[in-house]
Order: sequence, then structure tokens, then C-alpha cells
Amino acid sequence: MSFYEHTLIAKQDISTADLEKIEKKYSDIIDKTEGEVIKVEKWGLLSFAKKIKSYNKGFYIHYKFKGGGKTLEEINRNSIIDNSLVRHMTVKYKILDTETEYFKEKDINEKKK
Amino acid sequence: MKRKNNKKFNKRPQNPLNKLSLFQKSDSRFSKKCPLSGKDAPAIDYKNIKLLRRYISDTDKIMPSRITSVSQNKQRKLTSEIKKAKILGLI
Repeated sequence: MSFYEHTLIAKQDISTADLEKIEKKYSDIIDKTEGEVIKVEKWGLLSFAKKIKSYNKGFYIHYKFKGGGKTLEEINRNSIIDNSLVRHMTVKYKILDTETEYFKEKDINEKKK
Repeated sequence: MKRKNNKKFNKRPQNPLNKLSLFQKSDSRFSKKCPLSGKDAPAIDYKNIKLLRRYISDTDKIMPSRITSVSQNKQRKLTSEIKKAKILGLI
């Protein structure tokens, strides 16, 4: 068992109800395959630096979880098949940093200005 | 005695246009420390976009360490994190 971070990018034209379904779907997958969700972050709608599959913006969902090979396989398989996603990435960590949130601070600063 | 010795070592030509100065290493060029290593160094992470933007050129190329004076170990981490951020479309 080791720590992982998984980020999903959902398509721009998806409704908020569907977004919650996607978020639930992947946290259920982690729970079913003997994993453990530590934290879920919603980064919101961000604009890409480049066009990805003819989309300019996307919803970001960020998971921090603990799991083995089974969970990784299931998450990868599901996110490749999923039609509502644009891109996904997993990163392995020895020590997870759960305190700092880079994207929440940014939003607050922008609103102040 | 000490003072006499010091005078000998400080005899470098001060005029930069002097021919001898071309073959002697200047002190200022290599004095810069690595900005990413040390006690209060910021964490290198693909989510920390503000930091990564500093080490990228206008055309989204990774800056060489001889310009930014990042140490060899940290430069290797930087490149991998920048590439991760590019996959997610953050940079």
C-alpha cells in the first residue's frame, strides 16, 4: 500500500449534477478495491494553456488516496473508458502533503483584486 | 607578516579590459547559490504553478540551469514536475 494523487479533467459542457456523479464514482471505486480516500479537492473550472481535444476549459477534480495495484488498475481502466473526461494523471508519493492547497489560495486572491 | 602575504594575493588586475583578466576567473560569476535548495526553499510540485512559471521561457521551454543557477539535483526534479504540469494543461 502506498500513497497516490489522481487528477481528473472533466469536459466543460457537463452539468453540476453530473460532476458530483463523477466525483462519487471514482471515490467508490477506491473504496471497493480496498483503498482509502484521504482527501478530495475541487479546483473548479480552469482554462488550459493549450487546447486539449478541442476544449479550452475543464473541471478539475483531485484525489489523494492510499491503495495498491488493484485500485490503480481500476481507476486507470475506468478513466480511459469514460466519455466525460478529457485527461487524467496519477502520481506516486512516499509522503502525502494534505495541508497546502495551491488552487484555493489563488481563487481568494483573485476575488480580492 | 600576514599583511605582506595578503598584498601578494590581491594583486589581480582591476581593469576588466586588461588582457590578463581574460584568463582569470572572475569572483562574481560563480558566487550565486541555488534558489531551490536550503532550509526555507519552496517545494517543487506540479501544482505549484507560480514557482514553475519562473523557470520557463516565453515559448514554454525549460530554462537551463546555467542561467537560473539551480543545482543539478533540483534541476532534475524541476524538469519532471514541469512535464507533469504540461500534461494536465496547467502551464
